[in-house]
Amino acid sequence: MSNDIFFLAEFASGTPQRSALELAAGAVGLTQQSGGQAVALAYGAGASGGAAGLGAFGASRVVVLADDDRPAITVAPAAAQAAAGCLVLLAPATPNGRDIAAALVGRLNLPAFGPVTALSLDGSTLKVEQATLQGSVITVSQPADGAATPSVVLVLANTFTPIEGGSGSAEVSEAASVADDPLALARVVESRATEQAAVNLEEASVIVAGGRGVGGAEGFATLEELARALGGAVGASRAAADAGWVPYQLQIGQTGKVVKPALYLGCGISGAIQHRVGMQTAENVVAINKDPDAPIGEFADLFVVGDLFAIVPKLTEEIKRRKGGGG
Amino acid sequence: MKIVVCIKQVPATTADKRYEADLTLDRASVDTVINPLDEYAIEQALRLLDDGNVDQVVYLSMGPEPAGEALRRALAMGGDEAYLVTDGALSGADEWATARVLASALDRLSPDVALMGMASDDAKGSLVPGAVAAMRNVPLLSYGAEVWLQDGKAKIRRLNAAGYDIIEAPTPLVVSVTDQVGEPRYASLKGIMAAKRKPLETWTLSDIGLSADELHGAALTRMTSAEPPRTKPPTERIDNVAPDEAATRIADWLAARKLI
Ligand SMILES: Cc1cc2nc3c(=O)[nH]c(=O)nc-3n(C[C@H](O)[C@H](O)[C@H](O)COP(=O)(O)OP(=O)(O)OC[C@H]3O[C@@H](n4cnc5c(N)ncnc54)[C@H](O)[C@@H]3O)c2cc1C
Ligand SMILES: Nc1ncnc2c1ncn2[C@@H]1O[C@H](COP(=O)(O)O)[C@@H](O)[C@H]1O
Repeated sequence: MSNDIFFLAEFASGTPQRSALELAAGAVGLTQQSGGQAVALAYGAGASGGAAGLGAFGASRVVVLADDDRPAITVAPAAAQAAAGCLVLLAPATPNGRDIAAALVGRLNLPAFGPVTALSLDGSTLKVEQATLQGSVITVSQPADGAATPSVVLVLANTFTPIEGGSGSAEVSEAASVADDPLALARVVESRATEQAAVNLEEASVIVAGGRGVGGAEGFATLEELARALGGAVGASRAAADAGWVPYQLQIGQTGKVVKPALYLGCGISGAIQHRVGMQTAENVVAINKDPDAPIGEFADLFVVGDLFAIVPKLTEEIKRRKGGGG
Repeated sequence: MKIVVCIKQVPATTADKRYEADLTLDRASVDTVINPLDEYAIEQALRLLDDGNVDQVVYLSMGPEPAGEALRRALAMGGDEAYLVTDGALSGADEWATARVLASALDRLSPDVALMGMASDDAKGSLVPGAVAAMRNVPLLSYGAEVWLQDGKAKIRRLNAAGYDIIEAPTPLVVSVTDQVGEPRYASLKGIMAAKRKPLETWTLSDIGLSADELHGAALTRMTSAEPPRTKPPTERIDNVAPDEAATRIADWLAARKLI
């Protein structure tokens, strides 16, 4: 067992995803306790070219697992070989991150922890804090005695803040090749871009979310303006995505994105449990709903009872005014 | 072509859940259902059966004895037979142990496709499908919004950041699906009657060739405490005010928290 902390670093077009920068910061935090190195496992198109740059965000070493567009799960065998025996492996709590994490758990028989709110080392024992049962309980867990390492930990976006202003360059190596492995067989046979632009809702620090109460695509244009004024992104409930007002990429919830923004502002969303599990770890929750008894009013920090069509445009104006008209 | 659908019995989504003194979930006092996301896996399997793409749909669950009810409910929706792995040594099983048990049971059932939901309601991992694939040494196609089977291959449609990908892998494999595959059917009265005569077999750990020792006490993780969170301030309400004022007060609230 080494005391290194590994993390998954996904790339797209040569650029690391924000999750890679956040996990680098989380890994560096743990190395300060473990004394080891923060090591990135990089994959995705352009990973080789961008790898050394992770040094500026705290990585001492980067192992490039693959530099291509294949499904993320295909790098799992190489990841298992590279990460075996390190102390902790941090993975983004995204579909791709979960796939790789799951395969590591199955391949190396590892303890796994769902999204954590905090983590630390007590000697070489990992302690993770999680909010469960709709945030009604805070649990502390650790690997069972005698469990293999690494412990695999899923981390939501916006749990760690990237280290800015660093200048280091990481030592880059290529992963040792692995023999043919069934997990590496998945292939993308067709790709369709249906949206104007790729959206990574998880990465937004402000989200203005709309639900059935928004009434249609025009209503969402109003939310878009508010989001722009706040420097944020637009999200949605499943009802709004099912209605076709926004693409499914914007859906927040159990079967959509799990987000953890500094501000979630929900408009015309009732707060069903399946929606709530996708946004309950937001730092600040504001809801605008015309129903004074809407469930979201029970867990919002600020609950505004009123008509979103009357309030949202005024709020957009007011925010633009306070920001100096620029927005 | 044979599909095994892995389903879990969970407390109803709306049930009031709590931890027992021994830090396991209290499952005795609440209503249980088929994990809602597994109903989509069942629906997907039955559609492939209806369309003649598969010959047999089998259900598999790991859980306490009453989880047999979830399997009966699944059989009432359609399909052929069901297996429950139940064993005292499995109480408190984590995702690794669950995957270990399902993988061993699947080794005995040898399906072309092990079909799963994308997540269980009472876990936060979505880790079981990938762990089972890795343990069984088969490919994984996860988060399918649509599934096709053809010529010894499975294909899924999966959302990506800007649209979707069609991803393909050879059988045998593990496939997990989202709630976009189509709304689960209801069991008909005829289905419910027929389900009573469909085979439902119970296996213990030794029946699937595992021992309690190998399962490391059913978990590689250990919870050491469960406490209520620091109480957060109660919800502030803005009610019965003109839109202008509401907007000003929301902006004040945001400014006070440095959000604008
Ligand atoms: C297996 C499963 C998975 C699911 N996954 C998800 C998921 O990932 N994400 C998700 O969001 N849902 C999910 N759902 C659906 C979820 O149960 C709810 O149906 C959904 O979240 C409701 O969306 P909504 O709040 O927009 O609509 P509604 O519940 O209809 O609420 C609309 C709200 O808008 C308010 N309103 C109407 N007009 C106005 C107005 N002019 N001004 C202000 N307020 C107004 C109403 O008072 C109401 O509270 C899932 C369901 C299942 C069964
Ligand atoms: N105890 C279980 N019995 C059968 N299938 C399960 C069990 N636990 C999880 N699964 C399957 O694995 C999927 C993902 O679960 P999870 O990884 O727990 O989120 C579920 O949707 C089920 O299809």
